[in-house]
Amino acid sequence: MRLGRRTVPYALLAPGAVWLVLFFVIPLYYMGKLSLESGTIGALEFSWQWSNYGDALSLYDTQFVRSFVYAGLATLFALLLAYPLAYAIAFKAGRWRNLLLFAVVAPFFTTYLIRTLAWETILSDQSPVVSVLDFLGLAPGGHVLATGGAVIAGLTYNFLPFMVLPIYASLERIDERLIEAAKDLYASSRQAFWRVTLPLSAPGVVAGTLLTFIPASGDYVNAQFLGSAGNQMIGNVVQSLFLKQSNYPSAAALSFVLMAVILIVVLVYIRFAGSEALMGEEAAR
Amino acid sequence: MRGSERGGPRATLVVAAVVAAVTLGLGLAACGGGGGGGIEGGGNTESEQVKLEGKPSGSLTISNWPLYIDEATVSAFEKQDGVSVKYIEDVNDNAEFFGKMQPLLAQGESGGRSVFVVTDWMANKMHELGYLQNFDKSGLPNFEQNLRSELKSPSYDPSRDYSAPWQSGMTGLTVRTDLAPDVHSICDLFDPQYKGKVDMLTEMRDTVPLVMKCMGVDPSEATEQEWLDAIDKIKGAVDSGQIRRFTGNDYARDLTSGDAVAVIGWSGDAVQLQADNPNIEWRMPTEGCILWSDNMVIPVGAPNPTAAEAWVNYVYDPEVQADIAEYVNYVTPVEGVKEILAKREPELAKNQLIFPSDSFTKNCTIQPTPTGEEEQKITAAFEAVLNG
Repeated sequence: MRLGRRTVPYALLAPGAVWLVLFFVIPLYYMGKLSLESGTIGALEFSWQWSNYGDALSLYDTQFVRSFVYAGLATLFALLLAYPLAYAIAFKAGRWRNLLLFAVVAPFFTTYLIRTLAWETILSDQSPVVSVLDFLGLAPGGHVLATGGAVIAGLTYNFLPFMVLPIYASLERIDERLIEAAKDLYASSRQAFWRVTLPLSAPGVVAGTLLTFIPASGDYVNAQFLGSAGNQMIGNVVQSLFLKQSNYPSAAALSFVLMAVILIVVLVYIRFAGSEALMGEEAAR
Repeated sequence: MRGSERGGPRATLVVAAVVAAVTLGLGLAACGGGGGGGIEGGGNTESEQVKLEGKPSGSLTISNWPLYIDEATVSAFEKQDGVSVKYIEDVNDNAEFFGKMQPLLAQGESGGRSVFVVTDWMANKMHELGYLQNFDKSGLPNFEQNLRSELKSPSYDPSRDYSAPWQSGMTGLTVRTDLAPDVHSICDLFDPQYKGKVDMLTEMRDTVPLVMKCMGVDPSEATEQEWLDAIDKIKGAVDSGQIRRFTGNDYARDLTSGDAVAVIGWSGDAVQLQADNPNIEWRMPTEGCILWSDNMVIPVGAPNPTAAEAWVNYVYDPEVQADIAEYVNYVTPVEGVKEILAKREPELAKNQLIFPSDSFTKNCTIQPTPTGEEEQKITAAFEAVLNG
């Protein structure tokens, strides 16, 4: 084996690795150190203060649970909206395909913040949208803005493209002859979808749910602008601890807990739901 | 090589393990070396004093809030005093600005800036941490002579040793006169007929003292328990759905759309808002208002403090201040400006929000600034309500 062949992969890895060490690992180290400090600002001392973690969890468990509930619901709604949309774009759109894809991505031409602020107008008490929802009995108290529903709607909207694009990518790659073959073997359209199309698109669904769920659970912009005092998420608490209360150790500890919880949730998800689907074992059966 | 696809989930685990291992390794290495960086205190409680050196010259960097000056004033100062000024509008939020500057200040540096403009409580906090220099008053004759008397001795800096007001303002009620004509007091905000139509400010030192006033407590003498009681009252109003949400300047949006009909708001905003929508009005609460100032301070390690004092002195010239007051619509801290503006723009000079009379502000309280452990406790309680 020539030397070059062994070193090439490392050389290719190097820029990314250096980047990660500089901008991820090192900040993470300082944050870890900060999370174990005690005292007030100006007199913080490193003291293996593990109680920061316990305190953070017991004080803010409500917001933790709320974050994952909101992010989970937003992911679910995004999936329900995105799958039919991606399916239509991949199989039914014909020459409109590129235009529709462009329409999915188009909102990204304006910033995240502006898009969220636009929802303040859409969901304002006097808006036609809210009148319709009120008529349908879906807006208790006649207002949607500054409620949990508005936060979930905002999250769903903001992360929708992250769900649509991976699903579209995996649907678009499917060899349509496989579906034909299924039908030749007397599968109904419905059976062909459940037994062939859906399993083959599973990698896209898994990627989409991760790309939606992870950023949504750490989001604070939607809760800040569309929510009220009872709808703040864990990101808002971290922001408040860092910037308003100057309680850096608790904020750092909370960030670490959030990171750990998300990591565990994702690993479990990939292990049980993901790995089989990712490997396409359902389809092979 | 193994099939990369099959390795997917396992590879993730491996990467996670490697990252964790590297993090730990780095951590141990750095701990051995006694640790680095981080956020440590500078904390010398004895403040140093500005050392004046001859005539002002060289360059000067100032940090202020956005839209808080007319541009001509800066260039006129450059011309008069021969100082070249870098004027940065990078203070958007006291706490956020503090978060940005704190690591530098703790090491005795000011990020090249010689003047900050921060609100009373933040000036106090920076002073307590030893991050500010005391003025050399011999360089500030205009300030000594023209500072309005009611601003001369705030509780946190009774002889104005390190803070010079930039502009002041009042926190009170901003209402939609067409939708909530009968709101005249802070207590009215708790009236169930406005349920879900009331906003309060995320700024604790504005919102809580005003609620205290409704409860008959004098905020300037309030105990920790009285702060917590007022926060409890606010929490009750949140839980009952009375308070729609907590905002910064964005209460303007809620008022304009009618989503909120009465809010706790700032006087300076109202002058502008009313110009856009005549139904929006700032009202002096019957309980009185909260008076606050944004202050110029000179941080430790400030380059060219001589020029910094020259700047402070310059804006305390009533003629100069008149230009600023004409542009920003807040309450000017400088004596004699009203007379000048009465000639230039009589309408402005008559506006109670810009030149409040003593009788207009008779029940108002200077924004209280709880400190130390008390501050931390109160802030945590208030933030807990905000983040419910």
